[in-house]
Amino acid sequence: MSTLLQPAGASDRRRIWLNAGAILGAGIVGFITFVAIFAPLLAPYDPFAFDLGRRVIPPFWMEGGSPLNILGTDQLGRDYLSRLIYGARVSMIIGVATIITSGIIGTFLGVMGGFYGGKIDDAVVFAITARLSIPVVLVALAVAGFSGGASFTMVILVLGLLLWDRFAVVARSTTMQIRNLDYVAAARCAGCSPMTVLLKEVLPNIATHLAVVATLEMALAILLEAALSFLGLGVPPPAPSWGLMISEAKEYMFFSPWIIMIPGIALFVLVLGVNLLGDALRDMLGTDLSR
Amino acid sequence: MSTPAIEVRGLRREFRASQGLFAAPRRVVAVDDVSFSVPAGSVLGVVGESGCGKTTLARMILGLMEPSAGEVLVDGKRLDGMDRRARARLIQPVFQDPFSSLNPRRRVSDIIAMPLVAQSNVTTSEVNRRVAESLERVGLSTEQGTRFPSQLSGGQRQRVAIARALVLRPRIVVCDEPTSALDVSVQAQILNLLAELRRDLGLTYLFISHNLAVVEHVASEVAVMYLGRIVEKRESEALFRDPRHPYTRALLDSVLTPEPGLGVPDVGLGDIMPDPANIPPGCRFHPRCPACFAPCAATTPRITSLEDGLVECHLAG
Repeated sequence: MSTLLQPAGASDRRRIWLNAGAILGAGIVGFITFVAIFAPLLAPYDPFAFDLGRRVIPPFWMEGGSPLNILGTDQLGRDYLSRLIYGARVSMIIGVATIITSGIIGTFLGVMGGFYGGKIDDAVVFAITARLSIPVVLVALAVAGFSGGASFTMVILVLGLLLWDRFAVVARSTTMQIRNLDYVAAARCAGCSPMTVLLKEVLPNIATHLAVVATLEMALAILLEAALSFLGLGVPPPAPSWGLMISEAKEYMFFSPWIIMIPGIALFVLVLGVNLLGDALRDMLGTDLSR
Repeated sequence: MSTPAIEVRGLRREFRASQGLFAAPRRVVAVDDVSFSVPAGSVLGVVGESGCGKTTLARMILGLMEPSAGEVLVDGKRLDGMDRRARARLIQPVFQDPFSSLNPRRRVSDIIAMPLVAQSNVTTSEVNRRVAESLERVGLSTEQGTRFPSQLSGGQRQRVAIARALVLRPRIVVCDEPTSALDVSVQAQILNLLAELRRDLGLTYLFISHNLAVVEHVASEVAVMYLGRIVEKRESEALFRDPRHPYTRALLDSVLTPEPGLGVPDVGLGDIMPDPANIPPGCRFHPRCPACFAPCAATTPRITSLEDGLVECHLAG
C-alpha cells in the first residue's frame, strides 16, 4: 500500500501559518470575551473604588510594586487590573453593538441597491458617498456638543449609525453578483416573493462576506471608541474604558510609562486578535476585500 | 383546432446601451417580433448562434424580463399580470448551468420543495411526499435529497433542477440549454430523462439549444433564430432533411463530423459577425448569405408559409 506524501511546500507552510493566526485570533477574542462577560467574578477589586493613599503604584514586578495590585494602581488609587478587566466590557460591548447596528443598516441598503438596481441603487450609492464624506470624530464632537456631553449610548449610536459604509459596499457588490445567478431566477420562477428571494437565496450567500466585514468593522469601532474616549468624546469617566485610561494617565506617562502601556497593549492585542480572526475567515472563504 | 399549450405573439425586446452622458443610447433589438405556438405535448426546439436572442426569448417567456411588446399565453391565458404563484404552476425553467442554478446553501430537498412552499397552501407532509416523489422520478435517492448541491455531480445537479421544475406539475418547461454544461456521457442521460418525463407527465417543452444534434433528438418542431427573428420554423424531420433558409443550411453544414482530418467545415458565411445593435437593412442575413441577390439588401423578406412550417427568405415560396 502506498501513501502519497507531499513535501512541506510553500503552500503548506502558509496554511500552517494561517492556522496559527486563526487559532491565535480566536484565542485572543475568545479570552477577552470571556473576561468581559465574567468581569465581576474575575476582577480582584471594585474598579471604581479609589484609595488616594495608594496612588500610581507600579505593577508587582517593578520596583515599588505591591502584590496586592498585580498591575498597580492608577492616579486615583484604583486597582489597574480590575479597571482593565472591566474595560474589556466597554470595548466588546461597543464593538458588538456597533457591528450589529451598522451591519443591519449597511446590509439593508447594500442588498436593496444591489438587488433592485436602477434608481434605488443610485440612491444607495449616493448615501454611501455622502457617508464617506462625513468624518466620524467631527460627528461625535457635534453630537456630544448638542446632547450636552458624551455618553456610552451616544458612542454606540454615533459609531453604529456611521460605520455601515463597508457593509453597504460589500453587500451591494456581492448581491449584484448573486442577483444574476440562475438560482435567483429559478426562485422567482418558482413563485417566491421578492422578500423570500432576498432572505433565503441572497442573504445566506452573502453572509460569509459580511462576516469578514464585521471583523474589520469591529476592530475599527474598538479603536474609534478608544480614540473618542481619549479625546473626551466617548465613554465618560469614571467608566473604565481603555481609551479613557490612556487619556487620564497621560500626565504620568513620562515618569510611569507602564500606566499608558498597559491599556495600550490590551487595545493592541484585542484589535490584533479581531483582525487575525478576520484574516483567517477571509482566507477560508477565499474572498479578498482589501481595498 | 385546440388551444396551443403555449402561444407567443409578437414578442419584442429592446435594450438601451448607454454610451455615456451626452451620446444617444444605442438601441439593441435582441428579440424582434417573434410569434409561434406549440401544441400540448410536443417540443419546440429553438436554435441559433450565440447572441441571436434565444436566452432573451426564454427569459421573457419565463417572466424574468419584461417584453417591450407582445404577449405570452399558456392555455389561452396571458402570463403577464398573472399572480406569480399561478404562473409558477403553469411554466417552469431548467437552466443551463446546474452549478449556478442551485443555491449552494440549501439542501437538495429544500431546493426541490421551494416551488411548493411558495404556493403557501401546501401542508408540510404533502410537501415532503411530493419532494420524495419528484426525487424518485428523476432517479435520485432520498439520501441524496439530504445533501448539498456541492456534494453532487453535474448530472445529478441537473436532475435536481429538473425535479424542482416538475414538482408543481407545470404545463410548460422552458429548457435553456439544459445539457450544454454537462459531460457528453451525461448529456444523453439527461435528454432521455427529459423525454421520458414528457411522455409520462404530458409536458410541453420549449427547448433552447445551440446543439443541433440535441435538438434533432428531442424536438418535434424546430425554430431557427437569427438576430432576434425566427427565420425558419419547420417540423424537425423536414428541417433537418431539407433546410429552406440559407442560414439553416449553413448551421447544418457547420456541424463537425466525427471523421478526423477534415478540419472545421467552411460554410460560406464569411467572417462578419452579426451585431444586434446594427441590424442590416433588407434581409438581416444578407451580408453573410451565400445566396444573396439583388432584393435581399433592399426589402425585408415576407414570411412564406410552407406545408410543414414557415420560412422568411426571398428565395422561398
